[in-house]
Amino acid sequence: MSDLKQQVKEMIIQRLKLEDMTPDQIDDEAPLFGEGLGLDSIDALELALGVEQVYGVKIDNEGSGMKAFKNVSSLAAFIAENQAAS
Amino acid sequence: MKQILEQIPHRFPFLLVDRILERQVGVRVRAEKLITMGDPFLQGHFPGMPILPGVLMLEMLAQAAAFLEAEPLADRPVFLAQVADARFKASAVPGDRLELEVLPDASFGALQRVRGTIRCEGRVLCTARLVLAKGPAPEALP
Repeated sequence: MSDLKQQVKEMIIQRLKLEDMTPDQIDDEAPLFGEGLGLDSIDALELALGVEQVYGVKIDNEGSGMKAFKNVSSLAAFIAENQAAS
Repeated sequence: MKQILEQIPHRFPFLLVDRILERQVGVRVRAEKLITMGDPFLQGHFPGMPILPGVLMLEMLAQAAAFLEAEPLADRPVFLAQVADARFKASAVPGDRLELEVLPDASFGALQRVRGTIRCEGRVLCTARLVLAKGPAPEALP
């Protein structure tokens, strides 16, 4: 799981072009949107695409998507759960 | 023309779609815009050298993209949320018949990303990726 979290952080940095950040600077539990990392809804679209392309997990419902996008831990858990299910 | 006015809220002098050539909801839209000396924005851009402003090419693609949606958006504004990889390869001048093509690329929540291309007589004038945000439904407005 901690490997997956690390991968998720790297994906966030790469897909959202947060080039001045390193994975270590992203806290597992810090909010991705608003306060915390400060992502916006356009980043959410990009992140949903990234998760689908990299992990084959589709996030099509905005409700469940935003729950998964709460922080790195929840996103990694969502990916693990839905990969296992498929 | 009636179909256009029912689908989007834009009006003169900012209605930048003249005709819908092909409309497959959620798949592809092709539309047309004819550029003429009568277009108000050409008066000042530029005096004696009328050239369609590049930002209006992006606006044309955004307006055309509204026809990818099944529901009429005439009383529900659609906003531009992002413009990415916009390239202007050649200019458009009076007399040009522009063909606008818009293909959906991705969507999440109220956001829709599209790829747009503007051609004139087979030449590509402009390509861009746009993210559009659907505004709130009219009943949700105060």
